[in-house]
Amino acid sequence: MSRRRRVVITGVGIVSPLGHELTEFRRNLLSGLSAAAPITVFDPARLPTRIAAQVDASSLPTQTRDRKIAFGLAATRAAIADADGGDALPVAEYYAGTGGGLSLGIGLELFSMPDMVKFLEREEIPAGVHAQTFLQTPSDVCAHLICREHDFLRAPPLVHVSACAAATDAIGTAFRMIRDGRRRWMLAGGADSMINPMGVGGFCAIEATTRRNHEPRRASRPFDRDRDGFLLGEGAGLLVLETLDDAQARGARIYGEVSGYGNSFDAYGISEPHPEGEGALLAMQRALADAGLHPEDISYINAHGTSTPKNDVVETRAIRRLLGRHAERVPVSSTKSMIGHLISAAGAVELAAAILCAETGWVHPTINLERPDPACDLDYVAEGARRVKVETILKNSFAFGGQNASLVIRMAGC
Amino acid sequence: MDAPLESGLHAPLVVTGVGSLVLAPARAGEEDPSVDAAREVAPWLKSKKMRKFMGKQDQLAVAAAGRAAKDAALDERTLRERTGLYLCVGHIPFERAQIEAIARGSIQADEFCMERFSTTAFERVNPLLTFRCLPNMPAFHVSLNLGMRGPYFVTYPCAGQFYLALECATAALESGEVDVALVGAVADQNNFLVAYHFRRTSDSRKLTAWEGIDAGAFLCLETRDGARRRNAEVKAELLSSEVSYAAPDSWGESRPFAESVTFAGVKTVAAKPTAASLPVSLSHAAGGAGKGEFVHQLSTAGGVEATSRWRVV
Repeated sequence: MSRRRRVVITGVGIVSPLGHELTEFRRNLLSGLSAAAPITVFDPARLPTRIAAQVDASSLPTQTRDRKIAFGLAATRAAIADADGGDALPVAEYYAGTGGGLSLGIGLELFSMPDMVKFLEREEIPAGVHAQTFLQTPSDVCAHLICREHDFLRAPPLVHVSACAAATDAIGTAFRMIRDGRRRWMLAGGADSMINPMGVGGFCAIEATTRRNHEPRRASRPFDRDRDGFLLGEGAGLLVLETLDDAQARGARIYGEVSGYGNSFDAYGISEPHPEGEGALLAMQRALADAGLHPEDISYINAHGTSTPKNDVVETRAIRRLLGRHAERVPVSSTKSMIGHLISAAGAVELAAAILCAETGWVHPTINLERPDPACDLDYVAEGARRVKVETILKNSFAFGGQNASLVIRMAGC
Repeated sequence: MDAPLESGLHAPLVVTGVGSLVLAPARAGEEDPSVDAAREVAPWLKSKKMRKFMGKQDQLAVAAAGRAAKDAALDERTLRERTGLYLCVGHIPFERAQIEAIARGSIQADEFCMERFSTTAFERVNPLLTFRCLPNMPAFHVSLNLGMRGPYFVTYPCAGQFYLALECATAALESGEVDVALVGAVADQNNFLVAYHFRRTSDSRKLTAWEGIDAGAFLCLETRDGARRRNAEVKAELLSSEVSYAAPDSWGESRPFAESVTFAGVKTVAAKPTAASLPVSLSHAAGGAGKGEFVHQLSTAGGVEATSRWRVV
């Protein structure tokens, strides 16, 4: 087999409920700002959950009926612009004709309920309505539109549908493809929006989302004993991944190195994680082994940290099993406490959050952790942003259906 | 379009097990043939209680994966510790009865009414609906019932993406991440929403006729050395796999779908796109339909052109 290439992150693009510009996003995270608010994207009427962390889409250049498509397109443009920053040779120019690829975690192809009512009545597409957007748009369209807009993305897109683990899987798969010489460079991340009647209604039906409608900013409270479900968010995050050699030759700014990836199945419960965190532990162990690192090499964990009763306890347990005594020395924080759960985009935007804070010597807080759950006994950075020299980040994403993914990132200069 | 990207086969890969399940099309007046899938999946379920969480797509995946694992004589430990799952699922088959109940309960003055959706209709939602339609659920049910702990790659929605699953499986086998790869696909197309997707054209109001295919199929892939160490019977060998891509105009006219299989010198042209077409036809070929070279060629609406060559032994 050919030698393993070192893979680095040279571009970050986000569309998030706490802003789309990187310094603004980092400032809001370090300030401990919550993006939660009453839902305005649609009228939730009397649904049990009526709050979410929504994206301000008014400034996005492309407006689409399916919000995740607009988010994915905007985050891609931002990631490429970021990778082209400074004195770097532009990606499009440097890689001209060499066929980069896209690895994208993407959400459900949810349908429009008003369209569904019309469709069931007549079983036809109303006049004057675009056939490809009436009722629903297949989610892979987002990947195709990104590739069509950036015609240097010529490898077939890898579309990931592992739900809440999808973006982390997308980044991990892209990392492996470049490391093993199957792709020269890739854009990787995720895009999602489930803030619509069927999305919110579906999560309400399984009692997964918070019902703290009266105080939205205190609703997402990972590891707190009063947590009652996750806060739904939306957005997109895309990273430019390339080899260290190419990044240096291009003169690109390097955020960090992707050094390990692992994923696993719980093979346990459809909506509940393995009680001892077997699958989560396995994913973290595989990522560390892939990176050739030991648990004591980890200096910060960006948790899945959903604010659901079961996840937070099990993730804590799995981290303790992974780190042993080192767990006392590792700060762990949940980005979802501020931006909610971006589902198939979560892993990418949260990884961006971790990297952007770490490069300035900070880790962001877990907000709303006021009364710690006795079963959640790690250092969750509850007091506010903290100065930490972060050398190695472990990023977790765990999905309904027991699909778990973890990434190990070495920060630049470490 | 660029020159095709090679899958980069460094070590000879072989097929040591196949499993497929293709359901007969629904007859006129019948809802769908899912009762067959429910019957076929029964031997592979660890707990009958899980049946209520399973949609037809989940049943097809578990039955086909179970057959492939059995055909390859995979033991429990290999499945648990050293086998990866690489799965392509089709378009999402939300169940009509559930959706209709919600939609009808949401109507006021012939229009969708959010107030009614959030009260009357919402109460009619079966919480299981969420689990029976998520695209990662077939992978969950396979992992649960076959006792697999991964790694995995779950992709969507069409035959072109199956080739990406095949590439990820190939990479995992060659890097030594796994010893065995269960590579498969599943499609539940006799579903009103999936059918709608295939029936719509670029002309507003126009819906074409459509009869879908419900199928699941898996291949058990290993390195030749790995198969030899397990004393596994080799049923076919992967000779090459090439994929290229040109991003389609998703808002414009769909590219025509084209697929063919040439086996033992006989070419068959497939008329309908399904994520499971390659593993289904290769399962049939390697399951006793003869010997010889098997060539699969594909051109999809999603912009993928792919060719794979196999030798059935």
